[in-house]
Amino acid sequence: MTDSQRLSQVFVELADTLVTEFDVVEFLTTLADRCVELLKAKEAGVVLADEQGVLRSVASSNETARLLDLFELQNQQGPCLDCYRTGQRLVNQSLDDQPERWPQFGPEARRLGFSVVHALPMRLRGRVIGAVNIFGGDGEPLSEADVDIGQALADIATVGLLQERTLREARVLNEQLQAALTSRVAIEQAKGMLAERRQIEMDAAFALLRSYARRTNQRLKDVAQALLTGTLSADVLDHR
Amino acid sequence: MDPLRLNRVTDLLADAGGPPVLERLMGACVEVLSVTGAGVAVIGDGQHRGAVAVSDPICGDVDDLQFSLGEGPCIDANHSDSPVLEPDLALAFGQWPAFAPAALALGVRAVFSFPLRVGAVDLGVLSLYRDIAGDLEPEDLRDAIALSRVATHLLLEVEAAIPPGALPARLAEVIDHRSVVHQATGMIAAQLDTDVATALIRLRAYAWTNDRSIDSVATEVVGRRLRFDDG
Repeated sequence: MTDSQRLSQVFVELADTLVTEFDVVEFLTTLADRCVELLKAKEAGVVLADEQGVLRSVASSNETARLLDLFELQNQQGPCLDCYRTGQRLVNQSLDDQPERWPQFGPEARRLGFSVVHALPMRLRGRVIGAVNIFGGDGEPLSEADVDIGQALADIATVGLLQERTLREARVLNEQLQAALTSRVAIEQAKGMLAERRQIEMDAAFALLRSYARRTNQRLKDVAQALLTGTLSADVLDHR
Repeated sequence: MDPLRLNRVTDLLADAGGPPVLERLMGACVEVLSVTGAGVAVIGDGQHRGAVAVSDPICGDVDDLQFSLGEGPCIDANHSDSPVLEPDLALAFGQWPAFAPAALALGVRAVFSFPLRVGAVDLGVLSLYRDIAGDLEPEDLRDAIALSRVATHLLLEVEAAIPPGALPARLAEVIDHRSVVHQATGMIAAQLDTDVATALIRLRAYAWTNDRSIDSVATEVVGRRLRFDDG
């Protein structure tokens, strides 16, 4: 298969995962793997800034501790930090050329067998939220076309994160709404059930439910549900 | 969506001085698609819970029918997670033996319902109604799907703007209005010594068989003028 066929395949693969329900760490790990494959790199990883602006490694093509530490180190210095601060891509940065640029990161990366690094920004609504970090060996430098592919992959990673955030928010909001609806219905049904069982008025039934809930330190909707499902008997509601 | 339509929709949505935004979107649906009514409803536990926004009162009535009768296109669209397109309710008596004739009586002839989803999360259903029979034109269908995505986002915004445990205004009203039905359901469950799901089915069946509204039957039950057991 040609390079461009494989490229198309990868984009389709990533786009598909965005449509179905997906695990964000799995998604970003796949993305890191595809970066390595398509850019003929040695390793790759995705770092994201948390609420305090600390860069955290969220996915990597390899789970070795030393590689992960290399990402961690970039909170003090390194291509990811530079990329995160400037929002500019860092491409074909040789680790031999400017040893004083990253005095700790440089030698450590060299020790792991990397000779060149790249960092591509992940931007969301104008803000940089993280970076895709790519490590290369002594192969050819990345061409313009390669960089564009890398940036496209970084952009897909960003969209994936936004999607996941929307999905999570939708889930929470929907659960809250459904819970509110269910409990209002249940409370009305429980009033009716109690009113019938005890042959009392609706208001009296409601008062009974409410005082029982308060006495037993439960939520009204939980008492209502218990009555409806039969786990709570109407007799128990009386004040002894 | 063609630029003229899109402009019209954005103009209608941008009018901040008017009704709430989701309602404005319903108005926009009616105006740009060839339909006579639109509404967004929430379905929960397979039951129609109520409309969050409607373009006019008849849409509200059609939605209420689906709660009263326990069947209809909104419920099916939510259950199947795909659009339910019915160009002629006069031919849909097999599918909705109770809803189809009742909706026709309200002047609704065609109905197109679209589930509102984010990933696997079902947020509600957008329904479009028309007073004459006929399919949605291909470009209207395409635009309806696009507008259903807008409705999804606006519905999320509406929900995000209220505190947890609260309900959007119109929905809260609908629930309040239906409280007599829920109370009656509880009473019937006690009378028949059964669960509320069965009680609701019995209540609906009674209303349907006697050609009465579920509201009026429920009011009678709560008023203790009608019992469902031999007591």
